[in-house]
Amino acid sequence: MSNRPRPAVLVDRLISKSKPARVQGLAALLLSAGLLLLPWLVKLDGKPHADWQQLLGRFHPLLVHLPIGLLALVPALEIAGAWRPALREAIAFVLSLALITSLGSLTLGYLLAYGSGEVGSTVTRHMWGGIALAIGVALCMLARPTWSSRTLPFAYPLLLTCTLLTLVWTAHEGGSITHGSNYLTQYLPASLKSLALGNTTQVQPSNPTSFYTKHIHPIFDANCVSCHGESKTSGGLRLDSYDRLVRGGKDGAAVVPGNPSGSLLLNRVTLPASHKQFMPAEGKPPLRAEEIAWIRAWIQQGASPTDATVAGISIPEPQSDALLIPVGDYSALEPEIQQMEKSQGAKLMHVSGKPSDGLVLYTVDAAGSFGDAQLEQFQNFAPYIVEAELGRTGVTNASFDTLAKFTHLRALHLEGTKVTGDGLAKLASLSQLTYLNLSSTRVTQTAVAPLASMENLHHLYLYDTPAKPTPDSESTQPIARNPQ
Amino acid sequence: MKQHPLCTDTECEPDVLNLPVPSELRQEWAVLQTRRHFLGRTGKVLGWAAMASLLSDRALCGDTRQSGAKGPVDPQVAGPLKMPQFAPKAKRAIYLFMSGGPPQIDLLDYKPNLAALYDKDIPDSVRGGQQLTGMTAGQARFPIAPSHWAFKRYGKTGTWVSDLLPNTAQIVDDLTIIKSTNTEAINHEPAIMLMNTGNMNPGKPCLGAWLSYGLGSMNDNLPTFMVLQSKLNMKEDNQPVSSRLWGSGFLSSEYAGVGLRSQGDPVLYLSDPNGVSHEVRRNMLDAVNAINQQTSQELGDPETHARIAQYEMAYRMQTSVPELADLSKEPKSTWDLYGPDAKVPGTFAYNCLMARRMAERGVRFTQVYKRGWDVHGNVTGTLPILCQETDRACYALVTDLKQRGLLDDTLVIWAGEFGRTVYSQGGLSPENYGRDHHPRCFTTWMTGGGVRTGISFGETDEYSYNVVKDPVTVRDFNATILHCLGIDHNKLTYKFQGLDQKLTGPAPASVVQGLLA
Repeated sequence: MSNRPRPAVLVDRLISKSKPARVQGLAALLLSAGLLLLPWLVKLDGKPHADWQQLLGRFHPLLVHLPIGLLALVPALEIAGAWRPALREAIAFVLSLALITSLGSLTLGYLLAYGSGEVGSTVTRHMWGGIALAIGVALCMLARPTWSSRTLPFAYPLLLTCTLLTLVWTAHEGGSITHGSNYLTQYLPASLKSLALGNTTQVQPSNPTSFYTKHIHPIFDANCVSCHGESKTSGGLRLDSYDRLVRGGKDGAAVVPGNPSGSLLLNRVTLPASHKQFMPAEGKPPLRAEEIAWIRAWIQQGASPTDATVAGISIPEPQSDALLIPVGDYSALEPEIQQMEKSQGAKLMHVSGKPSDGLVLYTVDAAGSFGDAQLEQFQNFAPYIVEAELGRTGVTNASFDTLAKFTHLRALHLEGTKVTGDGLAKLASLSQLTYLNLSSTRVTQTAVAPLASMENLHHLYLYDTPAKPTPDSESTQPIARNPQ
Repeated sequence: MKQHPLCTDTECEPDVLNLPVPSELRQEWAVLQTRRHFLGRTGKVLGWAAMASLLSDRALCGDTRQSGAKGPVDPQVAGPLKMPQFAPKAKRAIYLFMSGGPPQIDLLDYKPNLAALYDKDIPDSVRGGQQLTGMTAGQARFPIAPSHWAFKRYGKTGTWVSDLLPNTAQIVDDLTIIKSTNTEAINHEPAIMLMNTGNMNPGKPCLGAWLSYGLGSMNDNLPTFMVLQSKLNMKEDNQPVSSRLWGSGFLSSEYAGVGLRSQGDPVLYLSDPNGVSHEVRRNMLDAVNAINQQTSQELGDPETHARIAQYEMAYRMQTSVPELADLSKEPKSTWDLYGPDAKVPGTFAYNCLMARRMAERGVRFTQVYKRGWDVHGNVTGTLPILCQETDRACYALVTDLKQRGLLDDTLVIWAGEFGRTVYSQGGLSPENYGRDHHPRCFTTWMTGGGVRTGISFGETDEYSYNVVKDPVTVRDFNATILHCLGIDHNKLTYKFQGLDQKLTGPAPASVVQGLLA
């Protein structure tokens, strides 16, 4: 709003010429005043209203594209008009159409927000953007004659520029409501992302170990916050923080501590999926049965933000995965990886679809021809390899030097190879190594002794080695050690 | 435009510009023709565009390797997967399938109170009007048959195990025993189909096929999914198992299980015929592949690619399978562990040893079928034989995988298609009884990568009839297996007959969190 010249002052200067112009100016003034007052006259109260409003309102996303297109046409016509003046004759008409369609979109948009009870900072910004835009278009129409007649040569270009900028901003806000605010930036390369977004620091929860923070909030985060969050606050309810959750929405308290059946939130998520008030709305997947059970038990036992446990609910702690250090993104190396697989016969397979999970080196197809020299070829990829399956290959003690560079290695298979253990101590630098298989090799007890210092190495297999002679059927347990 | 030789619908128009006409007229023609062509072409283009949008991409490209969920764009499921969706705990699985329905009451679901109820009728309230099979529906009464065998506690967990399973008892601390598995089918064919393919009707891909499709191969020389059938013991009631159980359904037949025979050559006609050298075989394959490639280009049927891949796999298996089946280098400790049965090809013990060897060689999924568990009568006569055949081998497989460090990333599953009734089918005596099919609860176990070992999950009532705590449906069971292997069962889908088909079917299924490590 602030970037707009005050209408009254301008209008005064603009309309001094003729009577029709004066009438137009007055109409624009009234229109602007009406639009600016609208949010106070019909307040967006966050409650859903009549269905017909939503029915019409849902045409808003369709209609908005008309003023967008028409307004984009205006500068195009103005510029092209420099060569073909006939084009400029159409501009007044295009502007009028743009004004009519923006007023129409504004009305429908308002009906949508009012009818469905949507509030939130993005919705509010989008609304003000729409109002500013409609006023801007009206002013452009008003200022254009003064530009053509050169009485006021700068007002119209300035107004048009401002209006177009407002258009871009408003359209972006609108897009953020429908697609989510990270829609544009989601697939931005990480380096650009930090540049574009700055270092977005996550707010640290006050109780990182509480049941709420660990189990309840993530459910809301994944399923609810897109509509019940800061940028979009349907029904006045926000679930993005514990305070907001207990504050509830327009329909009342979302959560009543100790009373699951009286808690609206639980009621809504347990309705039959076809019910009008069923949540999550709009065909989003329902909460899972166990998630509902966790929420119920948590409410039943006081809906505390701090308690670490809820009686009767035991959720297995995710294993040390959280501690795993993600590897870098190897996507850029993909052509090299394929080249390598072709030349060496060994495979570098993705652990999963997520590059940060790393790569696994498989040699099972090339076991006969794979040796120390071949392993060295894979050094380039060392930081990305989390698991190396070198079982039954020709690698020897000489490879320990190479392997020590595989800094993200978590599992290493050397079973059935020619290693004897000399230099095994070099692996001690692999702080993430949890699994080492030396079965059916010639390693000795003294050779494996230095491994005792590796506190993450929980699984060391020495089956069928001099370090642990071929066991009889009684003592077939592997040496599985715990860090403590 | 290139015409297909069989296509006779050729548009052949005289080129008016070359006709002997005055140049002005020719010019006018050129203008007219341009406009006419423009309009005509535009019309056609619009029509094609409309048609293209009506047909899916798949129908246009003939590419059926599409997968992935609808809805929010998820980079992990765009295009064929060929890798786990998230970092998996298990890279491979071995499924010991106990076809016929092992009696849970005599093996792992200990019900001490039943002894006092010998020959008493099972209360109607427990049966709850359940429809029984034709084999016992006509029985006048349903007398309770307590287990003939004693149970003892084993391991640090103090798990009750029947005397029939002295070896399995040694590894109970490593097992995840699920007592609350339940199914919807009461007869063999639908139940075994449901267990394997997630649907009672034949024609859907089985677990192994979904895994091959979703995870891809870890090695080039052996199939991703292999099936081992155990030799029949004629003293047992052997229900048939068919290749439908390891079929690929609507997925490409590349993903179907490859069965090894239990006797003679593991794969028939794999070795080169007399007088055909390896080189000739290679040349022949190259020629066949060239013809197949041509067919593929002409028709675009993805099954042609499947066939090419299968021929190539068979060629590589000519060397890999003999190596796989060559047990001569196995040390004495192996035979001490698996027992003398393992030396006889086709026994369950032999197959368990083969399953371990396949796991070492990068086979993703091995399914071992053991038939004969359908003990409708003579339980005391048949069950000890079945347990003698399988108990030690199960113990040996788990122990062997564990000592070799393979159990960390191998999931082992032991399951049948349903359980058996607590009441006796046919006559009940202190010495003998029979048990009918029972879908409402049965006991299964898993161990290895991804599952929480040393627990018993779920509970049945005191008759081992209904599940009273933590039921695990077949859908949940399969969803959990997929989860251990890094697959979200909701995201491993394949569009077929208008549905995003998946192993767990359209009804909601959930990963059983309580089973996970």
